[in-house]
Amino acid sequence: MRLVRENFPSKWKVRPDGLAKVTGTLKYLTDLIFPNMLYGKVLRSSYPHAKILSISTGNAEKLEGVKAVVTHNDVPGMNRFGLIFPDQPVLCDDVARYVGDAIAAVAAESEEIAELAIKLIEVEYEPLEVIDDPEKALLQSAVKLHPGGNILHRAGYKSSEEVMNVIKECPYVVEETYETPRQMHAYMETEGGVVVPDKNGGITVYAATQHGFKDRMQLARILGMPESDIRVISSPIGGSFGGKDELNIQPYAALLALKTGRPIKLHNKRSESVRAGIKRHPMKMKMITGADEQGKLVGHYVKIIADTGAYATLGPAVLDFAVEHSTGPYLIPHVDIEGISVFTNNGVSGEYRGFGGNQVTFALESQIDRLAEMMRMDPLMLREINIRNAEDLGPLGQRIVANDGAKNVLSMIKSSTILTAPLKRQDNWCLRGRGAAITMHGGGLGFGRPDPSGARLALTKEGEIEIAFGFEEFGQGLLASIEIMMTDMLGCAKEDIKIVIGDTDLVPASGSSTASRSTNMIWQGINKLKEPWRDKILDAASSVTGVQKRKLFIGERGVWEKGVKNKMIITYKELAKSFSHNLPVCSTQYHFPTTPDAVIGGHYLHTYAAVAAEVEIDQLTGRIKVTKLDHSVAAGPVVNPLGYLGQIEGGAIMGLGFTLFEDSIMEHARYHTENFDSYLLPTIKDIPLSTNVDVDESLFESDIFGPRGVGEIGTVAVAPAITAAIHNACGIWVSKLPVSPEELLNALELTPFLFDQQEVVE
Amino acid sequence: MNTEGLRNKSSAEEENNININIMVNGQSYSLAVHPAYRLVDILRNDLGLTGTKISCEIGRCGACSVVMDGNLVNACLVMAYQVDNQVIETIEQVAIETIHPIQQAFLEEGALQCGYCTPGMVIALKSLLDKNNHPTEEEVLDYLSGNLCRCTGYNGILRAVQRYKNESLSIHKFKL
Ligand code: FES
Ligand code: FES
Repeated sequence: MRLVRENFPSKWKVRPDGLAKVTGTLKYLTDLIFPNMLYGKVLRSSYPHAKILSISTGNAEKLEGVKAVVTHNDVPGMNRFGLIFPDQPVLCDDVARYVGDAIAAVAAESEEIAELAIKLIEVEYEPLEVIDDPEKALLQSAVKLHPGGNILHRAGYKSSEEVMNVIKECPYVVEETYETPRQMHAYMETEGGVVVPDKNGGITVYAATQHGFKDRMQLARILGMPESDIRVISSPIGGSFGGKDELNIQPYAALLALKTGRPIKLHNKRSESVRAGIKRHPMKMKMITGADEQGKLVGHYVKIIADTGAYATLGPAVLDFAVEHSTGPYLIPHVDIEGISVFTNNGVSGEYRGFGGNQVTFALESQIDRLAEMMRMDPLMLREINIRNAEDLGPLGQRIVANDGAKNVLSMIKSSTILTAPLKRQDNWCLRGRGAAITMHGGGLGFGRPDPSGARLALTKEGEIEIAFGFEEFGQGLLASIEIMMTDMLGCAKEDIKIVIGDTDLVPASGSSTASRSTNMIWQGINKLKEPWRDKILDAASSVTGVQKRKLFIGERGVWEKGVKNKMIITYKELAKSFSHNLPVCSTQYHFPTTPDAVIGGHYLHTYAAVAAEVEIDQLTGRIKVTKLDHSVAAGPVVNPLGYLGQIEGGAIMGLGFTLFEDSIMEHARYHTENFDSYLLPTIKDIPLSTNVDVDESLFESDIFGPRGVGEIGTVAVAPAITAAIHNACGIWVSKLPVSPEELLNALELTPFLFDQQEVVE
Repeated sequence: MNTEGLRNKSSAEEENNININIMVNGQSYSLAVHPAYRLVDILRNDLGLTGTKISCEIGRCGACSVVMDGNLVNACLVMAYQVDNQVIETIEQVAIETIHPIQQAFLEEGALQCGYCTPGMVIALKSLLDKNNHPTEEEVLDYLSGNLCRCTGYNGILRAVQRYKNESLSIHKFKL
């Protein structure tokens, strides 16, 4: 079904935070100002790899207006952080491993003074050998960046010992190496916020994160203070896309606040955000894929090298995900995948929308298209021959929830007019082409990883129905989704609801707002609370009104009595008044659904997507313009159609940027890219003006898991669809992203291209 | 006349200050600020008008868009000495009694997600629509090409403009 207002009239809702956003009245955490507030600033390493011989802060401290300078000596607890292994120094003590490493931090009366003070801190470095390439890091002779060496993580999956042998026997074999860029999240709001100390020695942290409780845990470790003394307020957020899940400015603002006893505001400048912030893992992927005469995929050999940069953060999990998704939605009997995530002195790579899926999907789908060309077969037909069935095992041999999504999105995209309407191939200097790609994407953290969630429903003394989750709103539309699910599942009106998120003092732990898990976890939570809630409210209503419980139901504004004409018998407000000492509360704890098979990291719930793209290539400049983009998505029932649409459309343009423009360029482990003058984000003039999103909402009857999240899926298969269209337009295969117009131009000169050469056999 | 700023100032900073008079959202202010201080800092730090956002601070993203003497400018590129005697309109001025129809269209069509680019987008569009109530698609694309949005992919923003145009057209027709 096409995702347009007409098809979802009752659920097409204005988001609850919308008004404050369009009027500019919403206070982001970086907008906050507190009385007596100081400004913080962090000194970052001058070298990508260096021993720190001495740090002298005397001159900075003497500057008028400077209130505190902190170095590693001021970290009371563990001077390390990291979501999986705490291996990143809060403030470097002996060695700096990348240009974003923090050496010292300053608090001053103004930002300008803080900036000046930073320049007065004298650091003596002894530069060390720099590793700016993961392949160099793997050499025997390479210096070791961490005590355990330069390998952060290895992951692999092998379904047969025979892979290379069976591939050798195949009549069709494609071997290619693909490379993907260091994409930046480029959230419009850079990392920042305010940390406010309280009288009892505790702190309140107002700073964006995707997981308030995890920040609290990490901060407690760093500050050597009990978690209960730390309150993290973490929404609203001006964009995240995975980039604010790891700690960023929080520890520095916290250390300075504790040292000065005053609120500290720390808001990264864009250049600092680029330098210190995490990025998408650049990956180099070699794939050798073989198919038989009939087009059945037989063997698939994959080697992945990921540049994880100086520290671990979520690097291991990203690699696991990439390995798992290297075979996509296809059935391939002989598979051998090996991945390695390697430390370098480059910028730190970590979590990013798509989580390693985007890179391998680009490579895999490109392989499929190359094979199809070799066989002179329609590329979608080749996909059809090899696509998984609903009941097939998952890519790591684990059981997954049965779903026809893969087949459905493929058949939906086949009827996209991008692929079916006649295409004018060429006029003047412009060449046109079209292509498609598909993907499947796991949700949640995967088997063996704690992935719990919690939810709480309560009647407040004001008579509001308060729903509390530990999730964050960074734009994805979580608040709207909660509101829609609440009115849908509890029958209440949106005016009855009070949503509480983003405050560790007020919400239950729900895990991170990541891995496309929030929508599903919210649905599960409300679904679990629905019955106990109804029970409690009706008991209460019955005891106040004397009407039998079985005649009552919960609805808008209050409790109603069934009858020829239903009538409201008590409002939530009245109910709250009568029960002011014993207000109904229901809580629940649950876990993201996982596969019963003990395959570490293996996913259980999946979403599926297909993308069709049309491009124009300017033969004079080599510039590529994506003129049309269509999507088919299977992710279970649509909860919040406007939010869903926005995730797919926005994800797609992020994918377009990944394909055509975006790369945080580093040389000798230093960023050339500092800001949006040298990092090109898609503008409104770069987008296709025609985009359609079609959805498949079906779930099998046995599927009790409800709607899946769509935060990532829209971004995953865009690159290979665009590069397939580029090939269709000009006959050139792209294997490195972002596509370089210069390289394309050179290739165009070398490859005179005639359209009739590429007509495919249907 | 309001001379109170929210910002802490050090005496070192105060030495080179200049006096400026500035009209923001219909209110006049007289401020003593450093000449190289930026309009975006005046708005956000001194006047507490945080609807105007900062993101790139080099004129590339439009998050800090405001209208100065009728023209759309990036407030991160305008220096204090340039705003003396100027009239500034910020996002806070767009909705006074009711929201502007373009803001309504943003809500209806999902033209915003995180909302951080939204004030800049709205003020940019409003300044276009004030000049030309029925811009062509090309004009809209040109006008918004300096405003980056990382969340929406811009489709929702274009839908909102279309809705605005349709609705103002229908109001117009009705009046005739
Ligand atoms: S902050 Fe002014 S243009 Fe980006
Ligand atoms: S809505 Fe987030 S940047 Fe535009």
